[in-house]
Amino acid sequence: MAEPLIPVTALGGTAPKVQGFGPLTLSERPDVALASLAPLRAGQLPDLPLPGPKDLAEAGGLWSFRTTAEAWMILAEGRAEEDFAARIAALAPGCAVTEQTDGWAMIEVTGEAAALERLLEKLVNLDPALLAPGHAARTALHHMGCFVLRPGAGQLWLLGMRSSAGSLWHAVAQAVQFQVVTLAERAQD
Amino acid sequence: MLIPHPLLGLRDAAEFTYLGDAALLNRPDPGAGEAAFCDYVYLRDNPAGVHRELWYHEQGDRSWLVVTRNTLTHEILGAELARDVKGGAA
Repeated sequence: MAEPLIPVTALGGTAPKVQGFGPLTLSERPDVALASLAPLRAGQLPDLPLPGPKDLAEAGGLWSFRTTAEAWMILAEGRAEEDFAARIAALAPGCAVTEQTDGWAMIEVTGEAAALERLLEKLVNLDPALLAPGHAARTALHHMGCFVLRPGAGQLWLLGMRSSAGSLWHAVAQAVQFQVVTLAERAQD
Repeated sequence: MLIPHPLLGLRDAAEFTYLGDAALLNRPDPGAGEAAFCDYVYLRDNPAGVHRELWYHEQGDRSWLVVTRNTLTHEILGAELARDVKGGAA
């Protein structure tokens, strides 16, 4: 008899991985749907939130950020099991919309805003002001290209290649452990 | 070394890859003849001082920049989007 196919997350579990580190919690977010959007003609923009460089915008449950000139990524929580790109394409006539959900793995870091700021000081090689709430950036993290998004003061989203999800988790977990837990313990000694 | 990206702010040079002299933006007309293409493909100025060069923001928004850099001090004097420069004198 055929074995049933069991869906697994990017980190290989049957349920999303969650791990707490003092004031911060890391969680895998396989529920987040992604689609890239680019107008086929310059200036032919759909009625969707399409922010300028550096920004992360939200409207009606759709988040978006600019990935390159005249191209954006659209993101929605809890919609990974829909045909998300088709639904976005219906809202964006004259745009090239491509499904991205399974190409990426998202790791969410939540918790105290102050602890998150301490983490950001070392996690990515960017001025922390570029990652204030409502901002997005693409950068390299442990030699992996990543999108770093800050939807709220106590929330950080990291999008990395799905094939290196384990390396991304390891890099972030190590940074959180050192910046937030180990340094706090040393400060007490 | 930090490069002031015109859209994204100060970014570390490690996010970029370097191509070379920004004169590469000025490709000769296809009918300009072999001598012009020989110059374009092979000959570069190698100034000790201010130099305009192409950098690609590979670990960022994939834009091409024209960066003005002093080759003696590595001081970055400015950066523009190559798409804005193209057509002008590079």
